[in-house]
Amino acid sequence: MQGPAGLATGYPKLDQELPGGGWPRNAVTEILLEHYGIGELQLLMPALVRLSNGDEQTRPGWIAWVAPPFQPYPPALSQWGLDISRILITSPNGNSELLWVAEQLLASSAMAAVLLWPESLDGRDSRRLQLAAEKGCCLAIVFRPLRAAAEVSAAALRMQLMPHDLGTDIGILRSRGGRPVVVRDYAG
Amino acid sequence: MPARKSPAMSREVNLTSALTKRSVKPSDSAQQILALAPVAEVTPRTVTRSPLSKKQKPRQLWLSIYLPALPLEALPNTQAGARVVLEELQGIPRVLQLCHEAHAAGITVGMTLNAALALLPGLQLLQREPAREQLVLRQLAKWAGRYTSFVCLDTKPLLLLEVAGSLRLFGGLKRLRRRLLRELIQQGYTIHLAVAPTPLAATWLAWAGRDTCIEDEQQLHSELSILPLACLDWPVSICESLRGMGISELGDCLRLPRQGFARRFGTERLLQLDRAMGRLPDPRAAHRSVEKFSLNYDLPAELGDSKLLLNVCAVLLQDLQQFLISRQIAVQRVLFDFLHLDIPATPVVLGGVEASHTAEHWLELLRIKLEHLEFPAAVISISLRSGQCQPLSVNSEVLPCITSSEQQSDAAVRQLVERLAARIGHYSVRGITAVAEHRPQYAWRSFYSMGNQTQQCAAAPGYWCCREPIPTLQSNTSLVLRRPLWLLSEVRRLQVQQEQPLYDGCLRLLDGPERLETGWWDENGIARDYYTAVNPRGIHLWIYQEQGAEQRWYLHGIFG
Repeated sequence: MQGPAGLATGYPKLDQELPGGGWPRNAVTEILLEHYGIGELQLLMPALVRLSNGDEQTRPGWIAWVAPPFQPYPPALSQWGLDISRILITSPNGNSELLWVAEQLLASSAMAAVLLWPESLDGRDSRRLQLAAEKGCCLAIVFRPLRAAAEVSAAALRMQLMPHDLGTDIGILRSRGGRPVVVRDYAG
Repeated sequence: MPARKSPAMSREVNLTSALTKRSVKPSDSAQQILALAPVAEVTPRTVTRSPLSKKQKPRQLWLSIYLPALPLEALPNTQAGARVVLEELQGIPRVLQLCHEAHAAGITVGMTLNAALALLPGLQLLQREPAREQLVLRQLAKWAGRYTSFVCLDTKPLLLLEVAGSLRLFGGLKRLRRRLLRELIQQGYTIHLAVAPTPLAATWLAWAGRDTCIEDEQQLHSELSILPLACLDWPVSICESLRGMGISELGDCLRLPRQGFARRFGTERLLQLDRAMGRLPDPRAAHRSVEKFSLNYDLPAELGDSKLLLNVCAVLLQDLQQFLISRQIAVQRVLFDFLHLDIPATPVVLGGVEASHTAEHWLELLRIKLEHLEFPAAVISISLRSGQCQPLSVNSEVLPCITSSEQQSDAAVRQLVERLAARIGHYSVRGITAVAEHRPQYAWRSFYSMGNQTQQCAAAPGYWCCREPIPTLQSNTSLVLRRPLWLLSEVRRLQVQQEQPLYDGCLRLLDGPERLETGWWDENGIARDYYTAVNPRGIHLWIYQEQGAEQRWYLHGIFG
């Protein structure tokens, strides 16, 4: 099955394994990880930079961060080439407010990408986010702990980050129109 | 360029040549010189016109509105029946004003309270309230603002409107006058309305109860001449002595010799007469209404339901919009206070990214706020205040295809930020920016939607936001050192084992050191060696070792 073209991740090894050749557009992607700081942002950065600066077809877009666990550091974001004037950081109080904010951001069509770090996310919430992402034509990235792999989710793509000494492996748990696969050392 | 003399130059030359020809001696007076010079060239061009030259239209036209029954009409008319307003004169309450029914019963102005009650036992007695009268006058001044840009308030219950500039728009004086009369009578006021070319003349005419309309300054003299002295608001003693001289009308006054009049009755009286007749200018100060909106609304019944409250607020916001549009201003903050019985009021502050003047905009934000607001008790009253006002800047509406997509998306982001801030608080929605500063913790700052840029990074005053783009890694790898994507808001002390820092296992140093030793000029100087390190779980960290005696290790960032 040939889905719509995805947003290139910037890592050719990973793009090969993803249906559509990149991050699924207008859909929710779940990234499961045990600890923050194992390269989850670096994985996203090339795609975010492209969304942030725009290209021939698309205009420069906004990127929203909902409840990030630490402070996103502007000098580093600038070093990657992200336009930090189009970044919106929100810190909602509590999970229900977080979901409301995420839904508003996704459905508004004003954001190019929304990154969110929810405390928990059940199947219904996940479905809501998916619908909002479709409505607002927005890339939604949800960061969740590894144990969430067993939970029901409406995400179009679920992947798991596994760091080791030589790099980071990516386990694609589910992808719309693809099959589960492990990408060894995606950046290498 | 050919040297061509300007006309002024040549005239001067002619003049001097004429003077030299007739050989004027230096001792001649200036007058003689002028007499000798050609007349046409010396007379000044501008002719000073007398203020009351015959063929001219009056430059000003004053319309005065006198409300003789204001003490009675300003008070709320709640019950039917005869009413009188009382005022204490020398300790005795006397009737100041009365309604028709009281008049029919035989009560007159100046009657004592007891006498009035004896005539009509069921009489409603009202105390005079000057503050309320002033309020009514200010409201009327505001209302009059739609007919002229210049409204004055007098100490008497009188409004002065300068209408010369409004005549064309409102279709002439007759129509304007009729319209004002109709609207004032509809509002339930007894009025006298006079028009004259000078403010004082208009005032006196209205006080005298003459609804005269003088457009031409020629008529001013004849119309004012027949006014009784009583309407001039002069002290009783002066009026008495004038009456003793056999003078009862203003015209008689005007015939008196000026100097003698001024000596006997004071220069001020003579100046007043001159001003009324238009011989002297009479500048007035325009009334300015307050530029801050404030409204208190007492609910007819206690309300606890936020949906119903929202409907009430919608009406109040309409008032705000009317206020803002009529002044062409906008506000960035709107403050609601929901008052309860016995317990403190619940404040609700609405803030926009940009100043706005539309009711829908604020209503939408209020709806989001109220959705998740629990009132501790039923609301008995609502107070609405506007924040700082600023001039309204409106883009003219254009077809959607013409507005650039950039503008549209900016507007969408603005609306979104306002909605989010209304729900989760203004300080929970922010943007970030980089600051040109070597100390990592000061190299950025947050700013909030409300427009006030706040320094997140504690101290280090006086740094500027980075205007030049920070070099990206790709462009200049050798010079730029990598910074972590995550920064810890508080640095974390790391345990050390055999001189190796620990974080969830022993840390392996990958890169470094990068020496940062700066900020010695303020109290927050640093001297640190930064390293990139990785722990056994594959987390890349940004750590530093403090320079100095203790050489402690700290975690400052995570590479993400």
